[in-house]
Order: sequence, then C-alpha cells, then structure tokens
Amino acid sequence: MSTSQRQPRFPLHRRDVLKGGAGLAAAAGLPGGLIGNAAAAAANTLVIAAPATPQSLDCNFDVSLGTFESIAALYDNLLEFKKIPDPKQPGAFREDTGDHPDLPAGLAIQGKLAESFELDPGGKFIRFQLRQGVKSNWGNELTAEDVKWTWERKFALGALGAFFLSTLGLENKDGVKVEGKYTVSINLDNPNPLLAKLQPNLYNPIYDSTKCKQESNADDPWARKFLENNSAGFGPYRLEQLQRGQQAVFKARDDYYRGKPAIDTVIFREVPTSATRASLLQGGAVDIAQYLQPLEIIKLRGEKGVAVDSVDASFMIWLELNAQIEPFNNAKVRQAMNFAFPQEQVLKTVFQGIASPLNGCMPNIYPGFTDKFWTYKHDPDQAKALLKEAGLSSGFKTSLAYNAGDPVQEPIAILYQTALRDIGVELELKKIPPATFYNTVSERKQPIIFYVDSPWCPDVGYSMTLYFNSKSFVNYSNYKNDEVDALIRDTARTSDQTKRLAMMTRAQEIIMSEAPWVFIAFPGYHFARRANLKGFTYYTSNNIRFQDFSREA
Amino acid sequence: MSNLVTSRPVLAAASAVAKSEDTRLRRLHFFIAFLRARPSFAVGYAIVAIVIVVALFAPWLAPYGPMTADPTVYLLPPGGSHPLGTDGAGMDIFSRVVFAPRVDLAIAIIGTLLSATIGGVIGAVVGYYEGQRAWRRAISTLVMRSADVLQAFPVFVFAIALVAVFGQSVKSIILAIAFVNTPIYLRLMRIQVLSVSKLRYVEAAYVAGASDAAILRRHVIPNAVAPLLAQLSVNIGWSVLLTAGLSFVGAGVVAPTPEWGSMIAMGFQNIVTGQWWPSVFPGIALCITVLGFALVGASVEVLADPVRRRVLSGSLS
Repeated sequence: MSTSQRQPRFPLHRRDVLKGGAGLAAAAGLPGGLIGNAAAAAANTLVIAAPATPQSLDCNFDVSLGTFESIAALYDNLLEFKKIPDPKQPGAFREDTGDHPDLPAGLAIQGKLAESFELDPGGKFIRFQLRQGVKSNWGNELTAEDVKWTWERKFALGALGAFFLSTLGLENKDGVKVEGKYTVSINLDNPNPLLAKLQPNLYNPIYDSTKCKQESNADDPWARKFLENNSAGFGPYRLEQLQRGQQAVFKARDDYYRGKPAIDTVIFREVPTSATRASLLQGGAVDIAQYLQPLEIIKLRGEKGVAVDSVDASFMIWLELNAQIEPFNNAKVRQAMNFAFPQEQVLKTVFQGIASPLNGCMPNIYPGFTDKFWTYKHDPDQAKALLKEAGLSSGFKTSLAYNAGDPVQEPIAILYQTALRDIGVELELKKIPPATFYNTVSERKQPIIFYVDSPWCPDVGYSMTLYFNSKSFVNYSNYKNDEVDALIRDTARTSDQTKRLAMMTRAQEIIMSEAPWVFIAFPGYHFARRANLKGFTYYTSNNIRFQDFSREA
Repeated sequence: MSNLVTSRPVLAAASAVAKSEDTRLRRLHFFIAFLRARPSFAVGYAIVAIVIVVALFAPWLAPYGPMTADPTVYLLPPGGSHPLGTDGAGMDIFSRVVFAPRVDLAIAIIGTLLSATIGGVIGAVVGYYEGQRAWRRAISTLVMRSADVLQAFPVFVFAIALVAVFGQSVKSIILAIAFVNTPIYLRLMRIQVLSVSKLRYVEAAYVAGASDAAILRRHVIPNAVAPLLAQLSVNIGWSVLLTAGLSFVGAGVVAPTPEWGSMIAMGFQNIVTGQWWPSVFPGIALCITVLGFALVGASVEVLADPVRRRVLSGSLS
C-alpha cells in the first residue's frame, strides 16, 4: 500500500511497446520506462499522461497538478453538484452549478457521503444525515466523528483548511456538532451563503479519522506525515503505488459504497512535455493526455482514434498589474495597458481560436458574471490618450514576468511587447522557471506577471473575494478599493441571492473600470482522450475523476 | 658624398620592405595552396567569413525587425515574403536567423577571449614559477588543483549554475563561458611555458638581469602562445553551442532576443504539430557555424604545429 516500491500489476511488455506506432518515439523518452499500448488497450486499465505526479496527498497543504486528480480519486465529499449533459459538447457532462430558486438552497446539489442534508434558509447551519455502512479504504465505517475530526484538523493545521474556515466564518471548532452516530451539523455565528456550495469543493473531503488517529503521535497529532504519502478516505480508489516524478497507480475499491468503478487500475504517468503527451495519445500509448497546447489540441481533433472534448470552464488567464508599483498605481495607466493588448489577435493565433475573450473579472460559467462593463477592445490611440492623461505621453519602461513552463505565455508576452512599443512602452520580458513561478507571483514584487487560475466554488461572491478583496492572499495585483471591499463583505453576509447579485454587479463595474488586470482569455477545458473512452465530466476544479470513465468495447 | 650617405639607409629600408612583402606573398601563396590541398578547411574559413559578414550586415539583410511580432503572420510556412517562415509569435525567422550571430558570436568571442587572457596569464605565471622556491611551488600547485576542481564539474551544468547565480543576462553568459573555459587555457599555457622557460634565450635574459615580468612578457609568452590561438577557434564554436544550449534550457538570453538556441527552444514544441521551421532553420544555422569554427580550429592546429607545417610544405611544393 502507499509508497511501496511494488511494481504495478498491469500487462506491459517490451514487445507491446514496439507495437505502439507513432507514440513509440515519444514513449522512449519517458522517465521510468516505456508505456505500451497494451496497457491502454486493457479494458479496465486507464493510462494517463500528466505533467506531474502528486507532490503530496495532503490537500490541506498541496495544490500541485497531480494532487488534484489523486484527491478526487481517494476521497469523497459530503455533497456534490448534480450532473447534466454539457450543452456544447455531445457525450460530455458537467456539474450543474446554475442558480435554481425552485430547489432547496437554490442549488442543484445532492448528497454524496451524506444521504440527505438540511440547510437553514437563513444560512446559519447545515445538518447532514450520513450514509450508513460506508467504509474507508482501511475498512472503517463513516460516522459523524469523521466529519468533526476533518474540520478540527482544519482548525489545528491552518493552511488551506483555514481558508475554508475564514470563507465560511466558522470561528469555533464547536461549531461542528456531532448530533448522533450518523448526524452532524455545521453551525455559524453569522449567515453565510456558501455553507452548502463549499461542501462539494474538491479540497473539502472527509477523512477516515479512525485510521488517522492510529497514525498520529504526540509530535504529529493530525497524521500529517501519514497523509502526505497515503490516503485515509472514502473515495472510489486506493493508492497502490506512488513514485514521485514517475507514476502513481490507483486501484478501484471493491467495497466502494457506490459500486466498484468501471476502470480497475489507473496509471498516472509523469510526462513533463506537452508535445510528448500529445504524441503518446496519438500513438495509442496512453488513454488521456492532460494539459495540451492549443496547436496540439487542434491537431489531435483530426486524428483517428482520438477525441477531444472542449467545454466552457472556470479557467482564466490574465496579467496582474501591480497596483502598488508605479505607474500601475494609476488606473488610467492600467486602462491604457488593456487598450494596448491585442486580445483578438492573441485568441486567434496563440490560442488558435479555442479560447474565448476574458471580458469580465470572474468565470463566465458562474451565475452573476456579466460582460456589460467590458470596454477594452484593442485601441492603441485610446491607450496613448490615456497615457497622456496620466502624464506619461513619452511612455515608460516596465517588465513582464512569465512562466517558462507554460508555452502560451511566451508568445503572448512577445506579441504584447510589440504592441506596447507602438504606444511608447518598453516592456522587458522575464522568464521565470516553473518551479519558482508561483513563489514569484505570491511575492507580489513584479510590475506585471501572468496568472492562470480558477475559483473552484461556483459563486460570484467567492470569485470576487479571491481576487479583489484587499485582504485576500490571492489578490496578487495588490488591488484595493474600499467600495469593492464593502460590497464583498456585505455579499458574504446575506443569503438573498438577488441582493448578492446586485452588489456583485456593482463590484464588477468598478473593477472593470479600474482594470487591475490585463484581461486575456477564458482558455476553456480541453480533454484529449482515446475515442473509446467515455464518461468525461467537467468539474469547476478543472480536474478529471477516474470513476467517471468507462471504455467502449 | 652626402647623397651617398643618405641613400644607403633608404636602399636598405626599401630592400627590407620588398623582402617583407615577398615573405607575405609567399605566405599567402602557401595558405592558398594549403586550402586547395585541404578543401574542408577552405569550407570552414568560408563559413566563418559568411557568418561574420551576415552578422555585420544583418540590418541590411533582414527584411523585418528581429523582435517584431506580427500576429497576422503567425506560424507561416517558408515561402513568399517570409523565406524561412514565421514563428509562434509571428516573427520572421529569416530576420532572426541573420541577426542571431550578432548575439551568439559576440558572447562566444568575448567569453573565449576573456578566458584565454585570464587563463593564459595565470598559466604563464604558474608555469614560469613551477619548480622554483617552495612557496611559489605551493601557489602553483594550489592553482592547478583549483583548476582540477573547476574541471571536475560537468561544463553545462556548471554554466547553468553560474548563470543562476549571476542572473539571466548576456553579461552572465559571457562570465559563465569565460569561467568554464579558463582552466583549458591555463593548462595549455602552463605546459608551453614549462618547456619554453628552460630554453637558452630565457636563461640568457635572466643572466642579463631582466626582471621576471619582462622575461615573461618579452620572451616566454610570445613563444608559448601558438597553441592557445589554435584552441581559440575551436572554443569559439564550442561557446556558440554552449550559449545556444543555455538559451535552449531557459538559462540564456532573454526572449525575444534573436539567438539560435532560444529560437530552437521557442519552436521545438511545434514540431509534433507539424510546424518544423521555427526550430529547424536556427538549428541548421547553429550547426553550420559550429562546424565552420571547428574546421578553422583544425586548420590553425595544423598551421601552428611546425612539424606538420614542414611536412605540409614539402607535400605542397
């Protein structure tokens, strides 16, 4: 179990690799050995080419790419959004995150580990009735104590858990009450409209407290060391093997309460280069190639045996204009930077038309989004006029930092550099290694820096809080507006969705006018797979869940 | 009478000039014959000459700005108004390829000259004092063992580490190249000086009361420098490759500076999707340039070796 060095049990032979066709050359470059198409051909085995294996399996601390998929496989949440067919992509599904005033809590939400739930219309408490007989991967039954321990761990360890506590306004661990063996409630001092919406969040799963307590000791009372390399959850898979930098292997659980998933074994291989991942999929050596570049997606769409599902997503890409660094402390300069950005051309060339314009400051798939305040169509003359008004008619010199690991960022930066030259702005480009890029972003010392992100909770208040609340850790543009802060605060204190939407519309108007970002694109979510693999479902956390998939004969 | 007195030195000077011109002419004829006998070396000189000319006249040869991105011509294949196509940011590859040697050669030549100067001087001093008084011998040993330590690191990894320490800039790459090459010149010069310093004319200068610095400067270094010159050309080609390698892994020049390694890095992702030209053309240019410098280096090695030159003279005459 866990990080053992046992070899995965899947039928992979060198002879099979030689049959791999176009994927062979790319497969030869894989770390840790070769992948044969026999593995992909096995009906109950799924081989995924991913940019990274999980760094840690503890979702309280780690937000690396591979960790997302692992958490979704190993753990379950109390609630989930109902699934609906994707309106644009035939055969694909997505979470129904829309407003449903006719449904309880106004949401299309249903029990997962919880059999049922009761939400206070005032938004001050939520009570869960847990399913009985649900077993963890260690054989321990789910009880209300597991839910309480999970929330207590957030209080004790802080980090990402503290984010959930502060977002909900849960100030005291006694707010989580065990009301019976299978009944538990979360009680707040103040109403919070996110009480139900945050429950399906990928990083808000329930732990098997019995196992975790067994693995705890005086130095590590919350089983940090154990959960970094192992899992103790109620999800559909268990971890068979984790070799960081090479692969993680997951096995379906026979005793999963919703029935054993169709895919028995999942091999999650690290393939750092997107071109190699695309090549492996094209050659049939893997079933899924994650995080591909626009040109690769376009090319794979026409390949036999390969399918690409493209859906609207919560992803956004933008440039943070640091409002505490001159001249970006002046809103007119920030507006000029937006008018100078050749958005249409970037979408057409770098994104090959598979992205849509970022014409607002939150995901356009969430209720409450509006594009009516979008004014920044490429207009160098308007940009020059704004710079003149800001007293910078002769231009200025600044720098833009971009992530060397994201191939779309460099060409966007170069196109922007050329466009800014036309209005007298000299832009120096700084290439930041992927390993240190996030640190560079969070230091907030760069005048301009790329950022790609998505708010996982499909809520207007949540989205705006993340990026524009002056106290938010994720407000990397150092944007501060007292009216926006007040609107965000008031929105978090009322469950009246009409009032919330009105306040957040006003906040969006201010933000779009003051332009703390250079708005680039909604890149969408593009899922490249073998054509016989079915069941793709889009989640707002922008990751896949192995249990959704099955293979056509 | 006075005319006779003044005309003798004039005649002597004229005779010397004629002799010198004659020598130059003979050397030129020998060089031409040498290149005819070894056409591969002629190719090397031609390549280097062309690369230098292209670098000098790049602003007139390039039809577009090397750093001008035009999104309307994104990833155009070779042909028409863009003979080598355009890259993923809409920049003209031909213009960038002809501008690139300005950066690559400048970095390589400055870095190599710097390392040859520093390594040559240290090597000369170390070689000259080796075998003398104890403390000087100790210093010499210390210097040589330090060079051993430097050379124990893989050159490319060491260069990446140096650029990481100094920060990503052209200056840092030059420093990195100078640093990793210095031990090569240090060793070469030391070996030469060890043999030259034992020759009679050096001893004669010492007996005549010349200082160590004067002996090194006038008698030792000029007679020991030939192998360093041969190494220079090889090293310039190698440094072009190192510069490109550093840029390829993201530790070299800052984008969108026209530089072959950086261009290959920008374009290699597109090969899988069928757009081979953004990386293949700069790759070819890099390959040809390094080959040119290697061939020139090989020819200098032959010419600088008196024994091989004598054999060659015999076969050419």
